[in-house]
Amino acid sequence: MKNITGNLKADVAALKKMLPSEDVLTFEFVSPDGINFTCVFADPITDKELLGEQIVRPLLGYGGNATAEEIKKHVTSPELKTEKSLEKLSEEVLIGNPVLLWEGADEAIIAGTKKVFVRAIAEPPTDVAIKGPREGFIEDIKINTSLVRRRFKTGNLKIEMLRVGRQSQTFVAMCYLEGTTRADIVKEVKEKLERIDIDVIPDSSYLTHFLSSRPFSLMKQVGTTEKPDIFCAKIAEGRVGLIVDGSPIALTVPYLLVEDFQSSEDYFVPPYRATFTRLLRLFALLVAIYAPAFYVAAQLYKVQLFPVKLLLTISGSIRDLPFSPSLEMLLVLLVLEILNEASIRMPKYVGMALSVVGALVLGETAVSAGFVSTPAIIIIAFSGIGLYAVPNLIEQSSIIRLAMLLVAGSVGPYGILLLTAFLVYYLVTTDCFGTPLLAPFAPVSGRDLRDSLVKYNLGSLDTRPQTLKSKNKRRLSHD
Amino acid sequence: MTKISSRQLFFFLAAIAPVGKLIYLPTQLAEFSANDLLFPAAVNFFLQAGAVFFILLLSRSNKTLYDLLSYTFGKIAAKIILSVFTLFLFYAAVIPIMEQKFFVHFAFYDTLPTVFAFAPFFLLSVYLCAKPLVHAGRIWDILAPVAMVGFAGIIIFSFGEADFAALAPVGAKGADGFLRGTAFTMGWFYDSAILLLLMGKFDYEKGMAWKGALCYLAGAAAILLFLAVFYGIFSDIAVRQIFAFAKVSKYFVGIPLLGRIDYIFIYAVALVMAFYNILPLHAGVDSLTHAFAKRQTRLFSALCSIAVNAVIFSVTLLLNFSFRGFLKIVTQTAFWVFPLFCLLLPALALLLRRSPREKV
Amino acid sequence: MKKYKFRRFVRTVPMKFYILLAVIVIFSFFSNDFELVDIQKTAIILAAGVDRSENGYVLTAQIAVPKGSERTTGGTSSVEIDGEGETVSDCVAEIYSKTGWVPKFIFCNLIVLGEDTVKERTFGALDFFLRNEYMSDSCLVAVSAGKASELLSSISAIDNTSSLAINQLFSASAEKSGKITKNTLKEFAIGYYGVSKSGYLPFVRMQTQSGSDDQAQSGGQGGGSAQGQSGGGSDQKIYTAEETALFYDGAMVGLLTPEQTYAFNLLNESVVSSEITVQEGGKNHSLAVLRNSGDVSLSLKNNPALKISVTLTVRMSSCCSQAPIGSMAYAEVSPEVEQKAREAIGGYLKGLWENSKSSGCDLFFLTQKLYRSSLGKYAEWKDTLLQALEPEFEVSVKGTK
Repeated sequence: MKNITGNLKADVAALKKMLPSEDVLTFEFVSPDGINFTCVFADPITDKELLGEQIVRPLLGYGGNATAEEIKKHVTSPELKTEKSLEKLSEEVLIGNPVLLWEGADEAIIAGTKKVFVRAIAEPPTDVAIKGPREGFIEDIKINTSLVRRRFKTGNLKIEMLRVGRQSQTFVAMCYLEGTTRADIVKEVKEKLERIDIDVIPDSSYLTHFLSSRPFSLMKQVGTTEKPDIFCAKIAEGRVGLIVDGSPIALTVPYLLVEDFQSSEDYFVPPYRATFTRLLRLFALLVAIYAPAFYVAAQLYKVQLFPVKLLLTISGSIRDLPFSPSLEMLLVLLVLEILNEASIRMPKYVGMALSVVGALVLGETAVSAGFVSTPAIIIIAFSGIGLYAVPNLIEQSSIIRLAMLLVAGSVGPYGILLLTAFLVYYLVTTDCFGTPLLAPFAPVSGRDLRDSLVKYNLGSLDTRPQTLKSKNKRRLSHD
Repeated sequence: MTKISSRQLFFFLAAIAPVGKLIYLPTQLAEFSANDLLFPAAVNFFLQAGAVFFILLLSRSNKTLYDLLSYTFGKIAAKIILSVFTLFLFYAAVIPIMEQKFFVHFAFYDTLPTVFAFAPFFLLSVYLCAKPLVHAGRIWDILAPVAMVGFAGIIIFSFGEADFAALAPVGAKGADGFLRGTAFTMGWFYDSAILLLLMGKFDYEKGMAWKGALCYLAGAAAILLFLAVFYGIFSDIAVRQIFAFAKVSKYFVGIPLLGRIDYIFIYAVALVMAFYNILPLHAGVDSLTHAFAKRQTRLFSALCSIAVNAVIFSVTLLLNFSFRGFLKIVTQTAFWVFPLFCLLLPALALLLRRSPREKV
Repeated sequence: MKKYKFRRFVRTVPMKFYILLAVIVIFSFFSNDFELVDIQKTAIILAAGVDRSENGYVLTAQIAVPKGSERTTGGTSSVEIDGEGETVSDCVAEIYSKTGWVPKFIFCNLIVLGEDTVKERTFGALDFFLRNEYMSDSCLVAVSAGKASELLSSISAIDNTSSLAINQLFSASAEKSGKITKNTLKEFAIGYYGVSKSGYLPFVRMQTQSGSDDQAQSGGQGGGSAQGQSGGGSDQKIYTAEETALFYDGAMVGLLTPEQTYAFNLLNESVVSSEITVQEGGKNHSLAVLRNSGDVSLSLKNNPALKISVTLTVRMSSCCSQAPIGSMAYAEVSPEVEQKAREAIGGYLKGLWENSKSSGCDLFFLTQKLYRSSLGKYAEWKDTLLQALEPEFEVSVKGTK
């Protein structure tokens, strides 16, 4: 590893050679005593105003020794480091921290004057709450970790900074509570992150692939959240949280499937309301997944599932349709998925037109023209809405819904049952970081059921989840 | 996920093992014993509970059946005995699987589907049988509440229709009816054989034996209640009512208005039944893997699973139109096979060595 | 190297298998016609009528035909198709061949047996329905006066679909009036296969609606029925089922009058809102039944003894005499009227018993009660029980105070 030599020209030349990009600039100035200084910085990500105010201006009147210790006392930047290694110096320049070199320097000084372009902290679109905090993570890791630090005014909160990605060297903050989070989980997470050998980490979702025990699984094995209050609550239960620079979505492990049926608002409303809402979400999700499949299976294989009057109504509606019930439902489902996708990508000013097209043209007119039947539209519409009751499971649920439909149309109701059996078995046998995905239902953990699909009052949730096997079991004391 | 916990085992004994007795068994009991059907069923349940008790006592050694056999007879003899025992389990599984096949045709389809409509069951079976047996424990945590809720729903929907006076008079069929009912329905009581192969997959805890037996009797009580309701609803035409549990609940007063909402409970029980019927095959494949495969255990269990399921599938196809004859042979002509493997052998297993012989 | 390649191959097998499975599922999804009979190929049979013919049977199936042309609502009309054959199963096959639709009996809620069908071997006609796993045995069974096919093919004044109008006769609310009995296939079969070998079915008659050139009522059954009848108003029928057919050993052996049917329902405690009209002092008095309890008890102390008892709580609902306003306000029932009511009910019960006894139908399943109570006494009395019993009748009618 090459270090600086003290020869200013040689050192600057060496640094420029390591950083040949045109946006890496140098700024030279001289102290009254004739010490030549050069600042090497990356133009777009360095705050030049701060650089001038905190580093250059104080040194323009400097009349001391040309040592790093003395010079540090005269500059006004609170975030200073020294470094000898040229490689580390180049890394700092790329982060946005300018490097100060001078003639006869034993060490270079690194100032923390990076410029960060961030958006304002706002309510995250994926987790809206009527009651409770409205803050959400943004793309800057420092601000995100500050949101976490603000909620844990304790020395037990550990934030370890790791860098992942050969080229991107993305910062990843690993957050956990010492004494609460199991050491083996922390160790395993760290090892998995350190084993990652990839060029770029543009988003936290890239890390989920490496953290999962079954990377090709349909089901999630890593929890996600955009809200610092949820993130902190999960850490407080004994999880490890990961914040990735450049991504507003934080990760938490171990992950339990039941987490996605809970929302932050459940903890700010009365428990009976929270219980009702959670059960409603589960019901909505089940209806969304199974309704189209059962509708098709009943028409093709088991009409007895319909009451006779409903059957005759449906039979009348589908009488002259050109498609079989299964094909009709598949087509309507595909149209819904296309509408979903297009509505996300469509520019806002044509969104209104798309809604009209989707609702009137594709819905009403298609029925009138005899392409599809009214019951199919109703079922798919309800299914589409129901899926969004649990937004974190949208991707998985829509695939499962499609699979159910295909199985219903080809094998019938028994196929739906067998696929359900397979899915349930798959879920119960999936572990992540030694924690079963379907806990606290399989294996059953009595105490943890108090905050699962039902929610007891706060006084009953006095211990941390047994599933996470934290050493620090108690989180609430009674008088 | 190293071992099956005691809770999971109790769930199996109380809630899952009973569901295999809901399709053909009630009509068989009605055929032989008419209104005295509760007594032969109770006898068989008590015998099984006793076998469960002794097997759980045997499991104090925390060894598998193969281990105990090899300590006593040596490895080669142990492999032979285990293979024979496993073959019995596969043989015992044929009737319930065929029952389930016909039940699926009845409950899930209005029109006669192709013979291959039941084939996907074997796909699931291949997948499950290739996995370690300890995984079954965790699924029982999910299945037990499903079974309980499904069963409770069926009973609640059907209780009001039952005329329990139909169970009178006691002893109408006499000793002959009682003995035939007991002997000729033993083919449905092989849970003790499955439990023998589960040994070693769970750690023995204090009091597990009597708790396990009690759990089994609790499940038995539920089935006896079902049999009483079943006969109370159908009485003299009960012999005709195969797929018993799918027929009792349709007389609920709300059904004409709402449609067959009782199918929610029926399908819930059918889901549990699917896993229960795969369990003998799963236990057999797992035991054979443990006995015969030293390396490449995953590959061995996968191949074994495919082979076993392929054979059973072929048998179900062959017996598609001659099930009644096969049923008669297995449950009546050769009924003695079941008490031999499910009662006598578990009792004899208590004499096996619990630790290896010391090498001189 | 070979071992490594083999291991790699083995690791990829599951993924290849899943892909193959997905292809098979998708293929069968799009080409699904493996003996599949979906909703559009199905004849949904709402009711079936069975008559005897020279060669065997004639089955009349009332098939629901959904109206789908307006695309906004469903609705129901029906069509009757006949099939003839040596067995009912043959008849079904003929209907299948005539229509091209697969007949489905899952929604068949009514079986009507023609008068000639029930003269003997009734269960020969019902055998198909009992064996059919897809036929619900909770469907209603009734006997029609004359031919079942005529009954089902008739145009009802209440509903386009005659079976729906007949089903309305047997609704839960109609049952409470006590005027009709109803029985399901299951209960009828249990009665036949049990020790009593007896049973009963409602006897349905068809009457021409007087002034029936008015438009049909909508009736509430199926959305399309409000369209009314086209032209033939004079053929509209109404149905009554106030009589009950008695059966013994699979043959119809007697018929209860409407009064006897009412008495039978009183004994079954199924009467909640009905009227009894008695004559007292030359005037008619109608009494509303508020509470009804009935009992048929067989005691086996020495010899079997039967007690038939009915207890009613009534109030005056209508009186032809010009009653004073005070009496009207309290709806009191005078002791004389109560006595007349007792006599009337007593007469109905006696008639019911005599009819049952003379026909040989064990209407109250006394043989079954004997069997369940005492095997010994059953062996002794099973063939002579009905003839030997002289029941004691106890009727209590009390007005509200």
